[in-house]
Amino acid sequence: MKNAFVRDTVAITAKELKQLRRDPVSMVLTVMFPIILIGIFIVIVAAFSATTHNVPVVVADLDGTSASNAMLNELTRSRFIHVTQLVQTEDQAYQAVDNAQAVGAIIIPQGFGNALLAGDAFVIVSTDNSKLTSSQFVVGSVNQGAQDLVNQVTSGEGGINFGLKIAPIEVITRSLTGRPPSGDPILPGFLGLIAILGGFDDIVNAINRERERGTFPRLTLSPVSLFAVYSGKMSATIVLTILRTALMLVIFSLYGLVIHGNLILIFLTTVLIAVFTFSLGLTISTRIRSTTTLTVLEIAMTFPLFALAGTTSSPLLLAPGGRAIADSLPWTYGNDALRRLIYLGAGLNAVGGDLLILLISSLILMPIAILLSKRTM
Amino acid sequence: MSVATFLSDSLAIAETEFRQFRRNRSAILISLVVLPLFFTVSLGAGQGGAGTSFSSTADIPIGFVDNDNSIASLRLWQTLDRSPDFHNLIQSYNEQDAIAELGTKRIYAVIVVPKGFQNDLENGNQARLILYADDSEPGVSDQIQSTLTGYAQNFDPNVEVQPHLSQLQKQSIAGVGVVRKGAIFASFNVGLTTILAIVQIFSVFYEIAGGMARERDEGTYARLLASPIPIGSIMLGKTIFDILLSVLRTFIVLGIGIYGYGAKPSTDFGTILALSLIVALVTMGIGFVAAALKLGQRAVVIITFFLILFLFAFSGLIIDSNLLVGISQAISYSLPFTYAFDALRRTILLGRPLLSLTFDLEYLIGSIIVSFALAFVLLRSFRERLIT
Repeated sequence: MKNAFVRDTVAITAKELKQLRRDPVSMVLTVMFPIILIGIFIVIVAAFSATTHNVPVVVADLDGTSASNAMLNELTRSRFIHVTQLVQTEDQAYQAVDNAQAVGAIIIPQGFGNALLAGDAFVIVSTDNSKLTSSQFVVGSVNQGAQDLVNQVTSGEGGINFGLKIAPIEVITRSLTGRPPSGDPILPGFLGLIAILGGFDDIVNAINRERERGTFPRLTLSPVSLFAVYSGKMSATIVLTILRTALMLVIFSLYGLVIHGNLILIFLTTVLIAVFTFSLGLTISTRIRSTTTLTVLEIAMTFPLFALAGTTSSPLLLAPGGRAIADSLPWTYGNDALRRLIYLGAGLNAVGGDLLILLISSLILMPIAILLSKRTM
Repeated sequence: MSVATFLSDSLAIAETEFRQFRRNRSAILISLVVLPLFFTVSLGAGQGGAGTSFSSTADIPIGFVDNDNSIASLRLWQTLDRSPDFHNLIQSYNEQDAIAELGTKRIYAVIVVPKGFQNDLENGNQARLILYADDSEPGVSDQIQSTLTGYAQNFDPNVEVQPHLSQLQKQSIAGVGVVRKGAIFASFNVGLTTILAIVQIFSVFYEIAGGMARERDEGTYARLLASPIPIGSIMLGKTIFDILLSVLRTFIVLGIGIYGYGAKPSTDFGTILALSLIVALVTMGIGFVAAALKLGQRAVVIITFFLILFLFAFSGLIIDSNLLVGISQAISYSLPFTYAFDALRRTILLGRPLLSLTFDLEYLIGSIIVSFALAFVLLRSFRERLIT
């Protein structure tokens, strides 16, 4: 009986993989998901890590002293903002932002030079905050310009020395991994997302399409136990997840990401993420029979996962409600394990708890799915 | 054919669409419940409501090692510990032990006050704080560093109780303050502009392209074409049906946003509805074009997914279009959705009148006309192909 179960499982696995091989659209999707995600990542990182930008700003120098001129020079030297216009009044500067001619208006107020002497100078920055990232670049550039001016003033460069005190405390950050600050913190999350999307896609192929084609009843009428059918389909998902993970890791390596952790543990984590997703999909598929509806539902679930399961940013930064949801999602633990494996080179003892949560969640869902599946067959 | 007949045919198609929709429980659930609810609620849960504020660093466990043991370092500890941004500061006595805890999920950063901290401050030298951070948690170390820097920049060792710092003060530079003006929006309000458009794009594309694919699969599209109803009427009928659904969806998303999460749009409901329908119409045009390409139902769903991912990258949702580089910027500027998102942000967040967004509106209306015309031509040209 035990041998028969294994034989049946292997036969179903082979059938699933053969069907996928014969379906070019699904084959392409299996390969395209990772490539498209990485493509999007590269576009975003390229924009964030660009060394120069030309965010348009207008400046109103209401002081007209050597100090305000020095501040203006700092602003024009910025690699991120481009002073498109020098205006005479504060209102003209705000008007330029209101009319969308500039993302930021920088006002150097009257008395700036004297205030700098006294150590309480300020500049006013008004930004069009509907331009979410550009406005941050404007504020960052003005802060940088102010800091450079303070440094210049305190060191007496350029013939001006106001004896101003520099910022009292500097914060020096040392990262645990030693990685340079770049966009790659989200790559392990992408690997988790690929495992989730793959698991969802597999369940659609494995159950709903068979139902629509009428082959599922035939399969259940064959002398193969329902458990062996599901085990076979699950095994096919495991094989495909291993292939998808391998492809993603190759892309990561080509991108220059150093993988510190044990590869077997990384594969084990993505497999457990996919198995949990498959189990959940199986449970949902007992109620939703249409391939299209199931796919739409799964995609609708995927986008919130970007935000809540730690794909692109840590769940620690979420609002309390969001953090509670994140803590209740097994995928969060999978993504967490992947990050710690890939970046910190953590071992089984460090990620064991995360993997156990994924495993237990799957073990709870799988019998429920089989039971519901039997009832609704 | 008279205009009256054309319109009556279109209304007949719209009525049929509604009847089919009413009979399809899963379509109702997906269009009007799952998509608006999942997206809006996940935004609210992740970002907090528009009226609420929270510090993202407040509950993160952070170690604090004082190697200076001076009055200044004690005041720094008290400043941070009493602040609303560091509720979970854990005092450690050994730097190496504290650093060894990083990566274990017990603490996520260690703030070290080095020896000589007070001396540096007294002598007018720049003192230093060392922040060790677990950067395997995306965004956490940047957030802690930015918040800590705000406190460090404004720290006065001679004052026992430091004044409460506003968000703006935390961002200012000692010596030259930077006063920020311009409305600052709650994350939820910013997200709502995106969610409203994304929910419309997702649903409308699926309803138009997916609906026509389903009709083809079921054989009703061939029957429809065999009837004396012109393609223009079929398109208009489906458009009327989907516009009404889009109105309902706009109500649902805004309802959840406003009553559930306290969103406060800076514009009137009519403007938001008009823009939401413009987004829906652009998507409908593209959906009709996709339908003319004889895509299967599953292909439509998968294309919808890729379309949304594509828009996230290129439509100014994650990074403003003007910051994109090379060809990606050209792609971004050619997408009508870029202008739709821009118009939504300018109206909902800044309260700009809709008619003042001349270029955005011109581009969007032009895109609607072009996509509908292209779809009409394609649906007519591929008439035979689509029913075989």
